[in-house]
Formats: sequence, C-alpha cells, structure tokens
Amino acid sequence: MLIWVCAMHCEAKPVIDFYRLKKSHDDNAFDLYRGDNMACIISGIGKLASAAASAWIAARHDDAASIVWINLGIAGAATDEPGEIFALNQVIDADTGQRYYPAPGADSRIPGRACLTLSQPSEDYHENYLFDMEASGFMHSTLRFSSAELTQSVKIVSDNQRYQSGKDRPRISALIHQHIEAIDQQATSLIALNQEIAALAIPAESWLQLTALAHFSQTQKNRLRVLWRYLIKRGLDSELLLQKLSACTSSKAIIETLEQISYQDSEGL
Amino acid sequence: MVSRVYVEAEIRDHPRTRQLLKRLHKLPVVEIEHFGEVFNPRAQNFRLQKKDPAIIIAAKNKGHVLAAPEGYGLGGDKNYYFSHMLNCIYDCRYCFLQGMYQSAHQLLFVNYEDFGTQIKQVATRHQGQQVWFFSGYDCDSLANEPMTRFTDYFIPLIASIDNAWLELRTKSTQVRSMLKLQPVERVVTAFSFSDHFSHAKLEHGVPSIARRIDAMRRLIDAGWAVGLRFDPVVYHRHYQAAFVKLLEQIFDLIDAQKLHSVSLGSFRLTRDHFRKLTRLYPEEPLFAQNLDLNNGIISYPLEREREMIEFCETQLMKHIPRQSYHPCEWHG
Repeated sequence: MLIWVCAMHCEAKPVIDFYRLKKSHDDNAFDLYRGDNMACIISGIGKLASAAASAWIAARHDDAASIVWINLGIAGAATDEPGEIFALNQVIDADTGQRYYPAPGADSRIPGRACLTLSQPSEDYHENYLFDMEASGFMHSTLRFSSAELTQSVKIVSDNQRYQSGKDRPRISALIHQHIEAIDQQATSLIALNQEIAALAIPAESWLQLTALAHFSQTQKNRLRVLWRYLIKRGLDSELLLQKLSACTSSKAIIETLEQISYQDSEGL
Repeated sequence: MVSRVYVEAEIRDHPRTRQLLKRLHKLPVVEIEHFGEVFNPRAQNFRLQKKDPAIIIAAKNKGHVLAAPEGYGLGGDKNYYFSHMLNCIYDCRYCFLQGMYQSAHQLLFVNYEDFGTQIKQVATRHQGQQVWFFSGYDCDSLANEPMTRFTDYFIPLIASIDNAWLELRTKSTQVRSMLKLQPVERVVTAFSFSDHFSHAKLEHGVPSIARRIDAMRRLIDAGWAVGLRFDPVVYHRHYQAAFVKLLEQIFDLIDAQKLHSVSLGSFRLTRDHFRKLTRLYPEEPLFAQNLDLNNGIISYPLEREREMIEFCETQLMKHIPRQSYHPCEWHG
C-alpha cells in the first residue's frame, strides 16, 4: 500500500491525474483519493494536519501488511530555483529541534536536501535548508507505522528570495507535474521495497485455517507463526500442509509435526 | 551499494573525516549532531537497510575499550575488545551483528587517538600481564581497511606497548596495508572460515574461500602471525564432508606449524538476537533448524553440538598441533 500525503489539493493533483485516482465518498475526515493499492490524502496545511491525516489513514489500513509513504508538496528555498525537486534526507522541526532522517534509496535520481518545518510561513531564508510546514508532522506520525526506508518526503521549490508563487494553485500543480516521471520512479522503488516486506507476512486466510484446527495458547501461536511463515516462504503448499495437519489431535501435535517438517527442510540450508 | 554518508558536525574537519569524505565524494553527505540520531531510532528496517547502507562518520566519546565476554580469549591473562567500527560490510546470516543494533549502517569512529589512550591505560593497569585486545567483535577488522586505515594507527600502537596483543578478525582479503608494515609478533590476524556449503548459503558478499586462503598465505610469507577461526560451525546434511574438504583446501596451502592459533565453536545466538533474526529473515533455514534454548543461548541440542565439535576437532587435529587449538568455551 502506497499512501501519498499532500497538504493541498493542487499539490496532489499531478499524482491524482497520473495514477487516475478516484475520489472516495466514504470518507469525510479528509479528502481521500484511491487507486490500485494506492491512496492520496489531502491533509490541509501544517504539521499537525499532516500528522493527523497520516495517523488517520494508517489506522484505516491497519490490515495492510506494510505501508509506504510519500509526502509530496512545495517548499521554500533561499537560492534554489522554483521547480527544482528534492528528496528530503533530513527534516528538522523548527519548534522542537527534533530531527528525522527519511532514507531515499540509493537508486533515487532526486537529489537530497535538508528541510526545516515551520509552524508559520517565513521569509527568513537559510542557505542550507528548504522550508515547509508539514514534513516534521508527517515524519513524526508515519514513523510510528513504517520504517524510515519506507517513508519519504519529496519537495518541489515554489518560492525563493526572489520569487514568491503565493497561492497560484495551477502553477504549483504545474511545478510538481513537470517532475511526475521522477516522482513515479521514486514511488516505484518504494513499492518494490514494500512488496519485499509485505511478502514476509503470513497470508491471512491460511493463518485463519491453521489456527482453527485446534486451541493454541499465545506461546504456541508465537511458535506456530514462526514455523508456518518459514514453511510457506520456503514454498511448501499450504493446502497440503493443512491437510496433513488435520490428522493431528492436539495443538501440541500440530506444532510437533510442523517442527519435524521444518527441521527436515532446513537441514539442507 | 552505499547510499549516503552521515557525518557528525563536530568532527567534520577531523583529518580522518576529510580523508573519508574525499574517498566518498560521489555520495550525498548529510550533517548530523550525533550518530545516535541515525543509528539508534527504532523505526529502521535492518533488512532493507542492509541493501543500501549508509556510512556514518562519528566520534566515540566513552567506552572505547571494554572487557571481553566470558570465554572470549586465546589464553592471555586479560582480554578486552574495542570497535573502531560498528556493523560489517558483509551479510552473514549467522552473525549476531544482524540483531545487535537497530541499524545496518556502517558506523566508523575516527578518533583513534582516544582508543589509543585507553588501550595504553588498560595495558599499564595490567603491567606484567599479557593483555589481549580484540578488534573484530562488532565489525570485520580489515574489510573496510582501504577506507579506515585502521592498521596504520593501531599496529604501531600495539607494537609500542610491551604487554599488549592484538587480534584482528576478518573474512576479508584486505591485507595490502599490513604487507607494507613491518611484522609485529604480538599482532595476530585471524581469518574466519565456514565450509563451502555454508559459505555459499550464508555468507553473503564474503570473498571466496580461495581468495582468503591466499590473503592468509601472503601474510604468513611476510612474517605476520595468523590464526584460523571456525566459528560458527553450522549444521547441515553435508557438514562433515564439507568441513574435511575445507581443511584440505586450507592446509594444502598453509603450513599449520606457522599458525598462531586455531579456534572452533558451533552456531549460537542469544535468545533476544535469535528472535530478532527470525523476524527479519523468517525464510532462513538456519533459524528453522532443530535448536535448543540453554541459559539464554539458542544453539544446537547438546548431543548434536557435541557430535559436531568432536568431529571437527578430530579432523582439525589431523592438521594442527594441539597447543595451537583454543576451543570456544561458551557453556560457562
């Protein structure tokens, strides 16, 4: 599951158009657009809004094996030209000093940059940083649900010391849209990482069937999970395994049977 | 592939930092206040990070030299370890370093002089005793040598302290820097080996056995003391034949009489590390083997372990003199 978090609709529009996301009418706390294993939420401006939206949508996808995140939006800069794109590699909350380190992949074509998240708009530009109003809230929230490798923030410069785009929404969309291919590549890399992590999860259906075979204590369930996950990941057929286990008369016997299969399989490393 | 460099602002102008940054000039550099900001947070995925780790350049401010764990040693009076680096460039599935830290990033400490001061203090405290300093506990001592130039500083340091001994432990072939130095009798380079089968299945990114034997031979020829470490020996269907083959390959080229020491131990991990690793690599056969919990340590059932160690010891003794053998005592 990939979730885009944007402060404003004009920032989200290039993504909504590119991936042909459809507005969800079931949700009303935030504007939400959905697509195939993808969602885009419009948080509103500010780090609290971004944190709230991220937490809200994460809670709605608590059944997802793994979530990857991209915070996409505009930022101010001292000297970088409007339209330049950066993947944040350091996010500093200007109020608290708290620092976060999103980790763009080694294959990222987008250059990295540090960003200072402010509570109020400011024209006090600093050479080494971008400025935004959401990234620290986004990071604070999403790192509760996913690791730093699965959490990215991509910013396109909209303002600098010489030029302020103000509320020119079509221009903001255009600035982002011109980088949609690089943004898509970033998303594709993240999705690949996510698939690797999600593949480690036990398929819910076979787990339900397995645990329905007998009454398992919590300790037994922990052991069962390790064994089942191993055997399924090693390519053993879950249907055949379940068939074999159905002859077992107790939870202990089920675990012992799986242990024996697992020991045999693992002897070849 | 290394993805980026984090560097502590305070040591940005340290000569070793400058040298490292020059070498890593193609990578993006992110300035940080303290390595813990990047290395310690919980929200990191070791498995993903290991694919594209970052290098963190930092200074270590305390605990430069620590007492070695019980049973760790080669017969010296006192045993200590120190780590100029945390984590390893290799990815060996049996290694406890996978579960040791939240991060897979390679953390390099550049303040060697502070390590040196503490090493001297510890050696002085045990004047008249043989004090061993082990460097390959939290990292591979030599794998990053072209970058860290670890031996340039620490070998002359150890040479200057009469009662100090140093073990470098490695799976690498990076011996070029040592070959440029005058051999020091009290510095032992210990090469770790697993049999071919375990190497292929479990030691990701590690140079081939043949290349490592060649590195060993070059050190021996130059007059350096060299050791062999078969730790951990991993159980698999063919472990006996594979171990015999490994010994033959090594002793075809290495004169056993010239070895400083040989040690042997079976696969083991603390329970906490083991749990962490089964979550990280649920598909890994090594963790799905028949293993027992003994005093907080996960290892093979005693009978299997005894059988493995006895077999490997017997084979080993066909090649080496008994006095150079140091079994890994970890049962307490």
